[in-house]
Amino acid sequence: MANKWEVFVMDLGELAEGKELELTIRTLNDGLHKYTYQRAKVEVSSKLDQFADSLQVRLGRGQLSDRRFSIRVIERVERMPARYL
Amino acid sequence: MGKISAPRNNREFIDACVKSGDAVRIQQEVDWDNEAGAIVRRVCELGEAAPFMENIKDYPGFSYFGAPLSTYRRMAIALGMDPASTLPQIGAEYLKRTNSEPIAPIVIDKRDAPCKENILLGDDVDLCKLPVPLVHDGDGGRYVGTWHGVITKHPVRGDVNWGMYRQMMWDGRTMSGAVFPFSDLGKTLTDYYLPRGEGCPFATAIGLSPLAAMAACAPSPIPEPELCGMLSGEPVRLVKCETNDLEVPADAEIIIEGMILPDYKVEEGPFGEYTGYRTSPRDFRVTFRVDAITYRNNATMTISNMGVPQDEGQLLRSFSLGLELEKLLKSQGIPVTGVYMHPRSTHHMMIVGVKPTYAGIAMQIAQLAFGSKLGPWFHMVMVVDDQTDIFNWDEVYHAFCTRCNPERGIHVFKNTTGTALYPHATPHDRKYSIGSQVLFDCLWPVDWDKTNDVPTLVSFKNVYPKDIQERVTNNWADYGFRGAKK
Ligand SMILES: Cc1cc2nc3c(=O)[nH]c(=O)nc-3n(C[C@H](O)[C@H](O)[C@H](O)COP(=O)(O)O)c2cc1C
Ligand SMILES: [Mn+2]
Repeated sequence: MANKWEVFVMDLGELAEGKELELTIRTLNDGLHKYTYQRAKVEVSSKLDQFADSLQVRLGRGQLSDRRFSIRVIERVERMPARYL
Repeated sequence: MGKISAPRNNREFIDACVKSGDAVRIQQEVDWDNEAGAIVRRVCELGEAAPFMENIKDYPGFSYFGAPLSTYRRMAIALGMDPASTLPQIGAEYLKRTNSEPIAPIVIDKRDAPCKENILLGDDVDLCKLPVPLVHDGDGGRYVGTWHGVITKHPVRGDVNWGMYRQMMWDGRTMSGAVFPFSDLGKTLTDYYLPRGEGCPFATAIGLSPLAAMAACAPSPIPEPELCGMLSGEPVRLVKCETNDLEVPADAEIIIEGMILPDYKVEEGPFGEYTGYRTSPRDFRVTFRVDAITYRNNATMTISNMGVPQDEGQLLRSFSLGLELEKLLKSQGIPVTGVYMHPRSTHHMMIVGVKPTYAGIAMQIAQLAFGSKLGPWFHMVMVVDDQTDIFNWDEVYHAFCTRCNPERGIHVFKNTTGTALYPHATPHDRKYSIGSQVLFDCLWPVDWDKTNDVPTLVSFKNVYPKDIQERVTNNWADYGFRGAKK
């Protein structure tokens, strides 16, 4: 099943297309873990059928942007030092 | 002092509020995702009864208690007073109790501690097992701590701090929060843990007794466990944590234990704030790693929903900031007649009444207020004389608009301490907690001749002889007046 994701950006320019990005994204899938975050390498596209998962965007003070993207999560990135995991 | 009989825990408080009509039980299912938050917000804006939501989607067995202290009636109930008590009565009671002898907490056995009824450790730890609400649509996350206490200890001085510092769930084991550098916890971190690169043990307690929550957000110099004892007239019952040496209120509904990381941060915010805006930017903030969760059977999570007036942040913080300033000014021998903050100023304006017995008294008040531990939380001090009723905004506003001289009465203080939450502050100042503050001196200058220079207040009470006032008042109905329509 396709996953739904959300990202906070200050500027839509942070979501460059056609290259790998590292973003902090949160899941919008229904269930107990909705709104939890992870850091991930991703690729985004303004073509909504480019990737299976969808991405919606919120701006600096939580405003929902009307721009929508599709997204591919390439891999999870763990930033937290191993001693705390 | 007479025996105080205040609700000793959140459950007794809910019962008392339901009985007096100050809380409603909601049995239909409520969604943790926005719906509960929206209910609490509307309750705050309408001044309604507190919602006790007993059936939460996805979280059988848990409940929510929203807007616990967003009315003076509920504040009076929390203090064990008549719900109809007036604000000055509630204030006098707070001053009486917090000027009494500190009451030290006691530590009880784990077997007697309700908060240990369920214990999650190791791989079982997951904040998503708690009904953490999405309080406002568009918030940076679900907030675990909106009406709670973050418990820490200074490792050298040994003093314990309970502070209400918001905490967002980042993932099932990580929270981030806005701990300001001038707060007690902020100072402990910068003074000890951060320079050493050591983790700071913490415990978050949710569903506290209302007076423990009041202590956690009161800007008092008295350590909060003792302050809570003084407010409730009996020792707080504490119990040792599972994974660190801290002690937590045994009657709390939920305890989250863990460590504040000294060298790693995750994003926090944005979040709906007490000013009535989402102001402070999303940023990398103090990060809490969770090691254990313990909770009572059928645990109730307390929720405050900050936004436009009036919520308990505004009500209670206005209340305690004002009264703590009153104590401070009196400790310096200043002849203040009272201090009041209107909750709808979102605790930004201190109104101080004083007998203007010497020159510069308003400036002395402002310097003490802005220079104290309370100072970063408000940016306006308005000083009026002892003839002005500080609780009556019509009178205060009249005094301000007529007596505050634009050139001599307004004094701006630059480069003071602010917070990231000030809507009027520049983005740069928000980032670095840089503030600016202002005094509105509404006193007649002492060097004006009292008979010939100071204007006379033209009011019924002030200009007519007593006998005329009495005659007119007594004959009022006979003249044909039936009471003005408001
Ligand atoms: C609902 C609520 C949320 C608060 N959130 C924060 C916060 O995120 N960070 C902060 O430093 N203070 C916050 N405060 C204010 C502190 O609770 C307050 O300054 C308290 O006195 C803690 O003081 P201390 O640091 O002097 O112990 C909040 C207050 C309330 C009522
Ligand atoms: Mn403190």
